[in-house]
Amino acid sequence: MMQGLKQFFKSLFMLELMKGLSITGKHLFARKFTLYYPEEKAPISPRFRGLHALRRYPNGEERCIACKLCEAVCPALAITIESEQRDDGTRRTTRYDIDLTKCIFCGFCEESCPVDSIVETGIYEYHGEEHGDLYMTKEKLLEIGDKYEKDIAAARAADASYR
Amino acid sequence: MPEIKNYTLNFGPQHPAAHGVLRLVLEMDGEVIERADPHVGLLHRGTEKLAESKPYNQSIGYMDRLDYVSMMCNEHAYVMALEKMLGIEAPVRAQYIRVMFDEITRLLNHLMWLGTHALDVGAMTMFLYCFREREDLMDMYEAVSGARMHATYYRPGGVYRDLPDAMSQHKYSKYKSKKEIDKLNAARSGSLLDYIEDFTSRFPGYVDDYETLLTDNRIWKQRTVGIGVVSPERAQQLGFTGPMLRGSGIEWDLRKKQPYEVYDKMDFDIPVGVEGDCYDRYLVRIEEMRQSNRIIKQCIEWLRANPGPVMLEDHKLAPPKREEMKGDMESLIHHFKLFTEGYHLPAGEAYSAIEHPKGEFGIYLVSDGANKPYRLKIRAPGYAHLAAMHEMSEGHMLADVVAIIGTMDVVFGEIDR
Amino acid sequence: MHGVSDEMSDLLNIEINGVALQVKPGTMVIEAADDAGITIPRFCYHKKLSVAANCRMCLVEVEKAPKPLPACATPVTDGMKVLTKSPLALEAQKSVMEFLLINHPLDCPICDQGGECELQDVAMGYGQDMSRYHEKKRVVKDKFLGSLISTDMTRCIHCTRCVRFGQEVAGIMEMGAPGRGEHTEISTYMERAIGSEMSGNVIDLCPVGALTSKPYRYHGRPWENTTHDSIAPHDCVGSNVHVETRRNQVMRVLPKENEAINELWLSDRDRFSYMGLTSGDRLLQPMVKQDGEWKTTDWQNALNYAVEGLQRVKTASGAETIGALASPSSTTEELYLLQKVIRGMGSNNIDHRLQQLDFANQDTMPAYPCMNQSIADLDNINAALLVGSFTRKDQPIIAHRLRKANKSGAKVSVINSVDYDFNLDLSQSVITRPDDIASQLAGVVKALAEVTGKSIPDVLASSISSVTVTDEHKAIAADLNDAENATVLMGIHAMSNPNFSAISSLANAAAELSGATLGYLSAGANSAGAWLAGAVPHRAPGQQATDGKNAMQMITDDMKAFVLLNMEPEYDCANPNEALSAMSSADFVVCMTPFATSTMRKYADVMLPVAPFTETSGTYVNVEGQWQSFTGSVPPMGDVRPGWKVLRVIGNFLKLDGFDYLASEDVRDELDGLTRELETNSRSEITAVNLDSSKPELTRIGHVSLYAVDSLVRRSEPLQQTDDALAAMIAVNNVTAKKLGLDSGQMAVVMQSNTRVKLPIYIEDAIPDDCAFIPAGVTGSVELGLSYGPVEVAGG
Repeated sequence: MMQGLKQFFKSLFMLELMKGLSITGKHLFARKFTLYYPEEKAPISPRFRGLHALRRYPNGEERCIACKLCEAVCPALAITIESEQRDDGTRRTTRYDIDLTKCIFCGFCEESCPVDSIVETGIYEYHGEEHGDLYMTKEKLLEIGDKYEKDIAAARAADASYR
Repeated sequence: MPEIKNYTLNFGPQHPAAHGVLRLVLEMDGEVIERADPHVGLLHRGTEKLAESKPYNQSIGYMDRLDYVSMMCNEHAYVMALEKMLGIEAPVRAQYIRVMFDEITRLLNHLMWLGTHALDVGAMTMFLYCFREREDLMDMYEAVSGARMHATYYRPGGVYRDLPDAMSQHKYSKYKSKKEIDKLNAARSGSLLDYIEDFTSRFPGYVDDYETLLTDNRIWKQRTVGIGVVSPERAQQLGFTGPMLRGSGIEWDLRKKQPYEVYDKMDFDIPVGVEGDCYDRYLVRIEEMRQSNRIIKQCIEWLRANPGPVMLEDHKLAPPKREEMKGDMESLIHHFKLFTEGYHLPAGEAYSAIEHPKGEFGIYLVSDGANKPYRLKIRAPGYAHLAAMHEMSEGHMLADVVAIIGTMDVVFGEIDR
Repeated sequence: MHGVSDEMSDLLNIEINGVALQVKPGTMVIEAADDAGITIPRFCYHKKLSVAANCRMCLVEVEKAPKPLPACATPVTDGMKVLTKSPLALEAQKSVMEFLLINHPLDCPICDQGGECELQDVAMGYGQDMSRYHEKKRVVKDKFLGSLISTDMTRCIHCTRCVRFGQEVAGIMEMGAPGRGEHTEISTYMERAIGSEMSGNVIDLCPVGALTSKPYRYHGRPWENTTHDSIAPHDCVGSNVHVETRRNQVMRVLPKENEAINELWLSDRDRFSYMGLTSGDRLLQPMVKQDGEWKTTDWQNALNYAVEGLQRVKTASGAETIGALASPSSTTEELYLLQKVIRGMGSNNIDHRLQQLDFANQDTMPAYPCMNQSIADLDNINAALLVGSFTRKDQPIIAHRLRKANKSGAKVSVINSVDYDFNLDLSQSVITRPDDIASQLAGVVKALAEVTGKSIPDVLASSISSVTVTDEHKAIAADLNDAENATVLMGIHAMSNPNFSAISSLANAAAELSGATLGYLSAGANSAGAWLAGAVPHRAPGQQATDGKNAMQMITDDMKAFVLLNMEPEYDCANPNEALSAMSSADFVVCMTPFATSTMRKYADVMLPVAPFTETSGTYVNVEGQWQSFTGSVPPMGDVRPGWKVLRVIGNFLKLDGFDYLASEDVRDELDGLTRELETNSRSEITAVNLDSSKPELTRIGHVSLYAVDSLVRRSEPLQQTDDALAAMIAVNNVTAKKLGLDSGQMAVVMQSNTRVKLPIYIEDAIPDDCAFIPAGVTGSVELGLSYGPVEVAGG
C-alpha cells in the first residue's frame, strides 16, 4: 500500500524525469569541452597515421631506395613503384604513387621502410576536389616531406624508443 | 467500409535507425509487424576471401574494419587464431595490454550502442554524452596505435608498441584561457596509463548519469520493457551470445567460461537479465561497462608494476626492432622476409573466439602451410542476432522495430564482412 | 629381367629422418634426400654441377659419425642413418649460416636478389635471428662481366657455382676464385667480359645477389612478376622459358626446367632478347602510304588498303607475281595462314628459307628438317660430325648437349669454313672455303666407303671419284664408323651454303655408310614448322607438290607485290642488295612486322603491326619435331594484333574459304590434321653432285652472327653490346691479307653487286685462304650482295 502510494506520487510529479533534467541542466553551466575547430585542434599522438610523405636526407638526397617493401606489404595494394638504376648507379624510384583512396592507413609501409623514407605524418586535413587529386605521386609526396620535415622528424624521435 | 490493405515496407538501407546498411522488408498489418525480413550483404567487402590472398599480418588491418566500433577485439580474435596455430603465446605484459584495450574497446562499443540506441528511441542527450566519453577512449587508441579507430595494433606474438610514457598536450590558443587549457591538459600530463586511470576514475560517475537519464525514465521504459522478449531456451537455440544471451538470463561469458589471455586473473562479475527484453539487455550492457571499468583498473595497476617486452623476441615471426634491422644482417634479412613473404603457418586449422562486446566473435582459420590462409571464416555474433529479427519483432508495432534493432547492437561491418 | 633384379639387389637401404629409402650406390645423401622430398639447406651444391662441398651449409648428422657431414659430399652407405633436423645438425647449420652472414653486406633493400635469394631463405629457415658480429665487414671490388651480368662481389659467399658452371657447362675457363680465406674473390681472367653464349645462367645459379641481370637491374622484384610459360623464339631448340611480366610489361625471361630440351639452362639470346620488345622501332598502329606520305590509320582501313592493293596487282599482272617472304621464327599458325592466303590468291610464291642459296634438292628434302633424334639423345652419342655449323653460338643448348657427350668421350669433328672456337675437344677440324665444304665431305664419304667396305651409291661414285682422301677424312670416317651412336649434323651454314644440295646428298651418303643418324640444325625457331605449314613454294601443307618461286627467285625475278612477315629483307635475306631493290621495284609491299624501319618506310605501302612472341599465342615446332604451343604473356602493345588474327581477317577480306578460326588452336589443329601422318625421317635421296664448279678468286663468308638472326634480337641493346655481336668488318687471314695488300686496322673497300662499302680489316687466322669473312645481317653489310659469293676487297 505504502509502496504503491510512493510510486503514485513519484509518477505524478515525474521525479525521474526531473532528476534527468537536473543532469542536463547541470551541463548547461559546466565547463565547455568543445574545441573551436579548425582554429583549435585536438592534440595528436606522435604515432598518428595520417597523410603520407617521402623524406629526404639532410643533404637533400631522397631517402627512398626503391626496395619495394612498402609496396609488397601494402594490404590495399595502394602503392605502385617503378624503379631503375640512376645515372650515379644507385637504385631509385622513377615512380612512387600512393592511391589514398585505396589506402587503409595501417602504417605497414612506414613499419617496413628500412630507410625511414615513407612515413605517415600527423596531417589529417587534406582533400581533393577532382578525381585523381588524392592520387599521390612521388613529387607530391616529397613536397609534403620537405614541408613538414621538422614535425615528421620530431614525431619519429619521440617514438623511436618504442619501435 | 474501406478495405484494409497490408503494406510491405522497406525499412532502410538508408534509414538512420537502420544502423548502417540494413534493409528490412516489413510486412505490416496496419502498424503491426507481420513479418520482418532482414536483407544483408550491402556492406559485403569479401574480407574472408581477401584474406586468402595476403600474408597473414596484412589482414590484421581488415579485421578492424569488420565490427568497426570494436576494432581491437576483432584483431584480438584473429591474432589469437594465428598464435594458436603457431603455438606461441604473447608476453604477459602484452596480454595485459590486450585485455585492457579489449575492455576499452567494450566501452567504446557500448557507448556507441547506448548513444545511438537512445537516440533512436528519442533521447538526444545520451548521444552527446556517450560520444564525449568515446572521445577520451579514442585518444587512448590514438596514443597507443596512431589511429583513432582502425588501430592495427595487435600482432601475433604481442602488440606492436609498448604504451607511451607521454601523452600529447593541448596547445595554448587565444580561444581558451591558459587555465582552461591547463585543466584540459591535467589528465594528459602523465603517461597513457595515467590518462586511462583518470578516465576510469571519472567513468563510473558518467554511467550513473546515463542511468539517471534512462533507467527510471518512463518513456525509455515504455519503449523497451517487454519489447523483443527472447526466452533463454530460444536465445540458445538462435545462437545468441554476449549481452543478447545474458539479457535472457543465461550466464555465459567466454572471459569466465574459457578464459583467454589474463582474464582468469581479473576480478569481475557477469551481469545477467531476467526478462530477456530490450530493457534487461540495456541493464546488462550498462553493468558491463562498470565491470569493464573494473578490469581496466586492475590492468593499469599490473602494467604500472611490471614493465617488460610486449612482443615476442622470436624474429622468425616478429620483425626485429628498427635499430637492430639497420645494424645487423640477420635482423635485416628477417625484416625483409617478414615484410614481403611473411611467416608460414603449419598446416592445420584453428578456431579462436573472444568475448567481443557483441558476443562471441570467432575466427576459424585453415592453413595449408603457406604464408596466407587457405580459408578464413569469421563468426560474427551480430549475424545470428539479426537472424532473430522476425521472431523478436513479430506482433510489435513499427516503432518497436527501431528499439529492437538498437538492442541487437548490429554493425554491418561484421555481419556483411 | 635379369638386369632389373640385378639393379634391385644393388640398391642400398638408408634412412633419412626415420624414412626408409632405397638408393643407388654412389648417390650422395643430398640427392637421396631431394628425391625423397626432404629439404637440406645448401648453397654450393647444384644438381647439374660437380660437388664442391665448400659452403658447408648442408651439414647433417650421420649416425656413428663423430662430426656432422656435408650431405652433398657424403655418399650413401648401406644402413646409413641420416638426421637432417637433429639438434646437432641444426646447430651446425645455424653456425655455418652465421659465418656466411658475417661478411655479407646489409644490401637486401637495394639488392635485386631480394625475395628470390637463397641466402635470405636459408637464413630465415635455418639461421639465427640476431647477429653476434659487430666488427667491420669486408668489401670486395666489383668486377666487369660485360653488358649482361651485373656484379656486387661483396655479396658473394664463394659457393663457386659460377666458376663450376663456367668450367663444366659453358666450357669457359674465364672465372676463378683467386685468393684464400678472407681474401677469396670470384674474378674473371684479366677482368674480361665473359664471352659465353650461356653466361646468363650464372645469374640463376648465383644463390645470392652477387651476379644479377644487368638489363633487369633495379627494375623489379620477383613477387610482383607474373610468370607465363612460353617458348624461346630464336633457335631451333625451342627452349622452354618463363616470361615474367608486371603490369602487362615483360620484365624478364627465365628458363623453365625441361629435362628433355633445355634442362634448366637458357642461352643469352633467349634470355635477353626481350629487351628488343620495347625498342623505339616498335610499330604500334597500322600505317598506310598514300601519295608518298605515311599515315596512321585503323585496322579496317589498313587491311582494306592491303587487300585492295594485292587484288589490284593480281588483276593487273596475275597472281604469280605476288610473293610472300616470312621469317623462319614466325609461329606455325602465322606461316600456315600466310601460305593459305597466298595460295588462296592463286600463287605458290612463299618461302621462309631466306638465307638459302641452293634449292636444287628441295624436292628430295624430308617433310621438314629435323634431327631425327631427340635433343636429350645427343647426351649419349659417341661420335658426331658437324658440317657447316657453329653449334656453340647457333644453338647453344645443342652445343651443351654435345659438350656433355664430348666430355664422356664422344668424338666430335667439324667441317667448317671458319675455324670457330668450339668449347669442345674436337677430334678433327677441317677448315676450308665454303665452296669446298662439299669436296671435303666427299672425302669423308670416300674414306667411309674404304673403312666400311661398303660401296658408294652409284649416283655419287663417279662425281666424287676425283676427290682425294686425307688423313683427317679417314679419322672422321673411323670415328663415325666405330661409334655405336653416331650422328651427322648439318648446321645453318651448311644449309645456306651455295652447294647445299651437294652437301646434303653427301651427308646423307656419309650417314648411310656409317649408320649414323642424319640431322639438320635449321635456322630460326620454326623452320620445321614452316616446312610443315607449307611456307615453301614447292609443297603445300600435306605435301602436295606445287610450283612456286623460292626466296632467291622471288627477289631476282620481277615480282609485283610482296607480303613480308616478321622480316626485314636487308637483314634477313641472303642477298640484301637484290632483296632491297626487289622491294623498291615492286608495285605493292605489305609488311606485317612488329618493327618499322626507315628502309621499310621507303619500299612498303602498308605496315601492319603484328605481335612478337610475347604478345601472341602460337606454336613452334622444334628440331626434334615437337610441337610446343604457347600463349601470349602480355596483351599486345598499342594497336598491335597477333599475326594469325591479321591473316585470318585478310583471308576474310579476300573472301577466301576456310578462314573462320576463333582461336589459334583451331589453326594449329587444322594443320595438325593435315600433317599428322607425315614421315619424319629426314634422310633424303642421295643425288649426283657437281664438285667442279669454278671457284672465285676471293669468296665471301657471310655468316649471320648469333645476335643478328632476327629482328627482335637485333634490337636487344644489351646483346648488341656483347663481343658476340659482330659489327660489319672484313676478316681475312694473313696469307690473303698479304696477297691483297691489306693490313689490320686499315679500312678497305668491299665491292659486291656494284656496291662499294668501306669496312675495317681484321687479320684472323681462323679464316681459310682466299676468303673474306664479312658478317651478314648487320648494319654496314646490308648493301652488299650474296652472303657467299665472289667479292672484291681493295685497300682503302
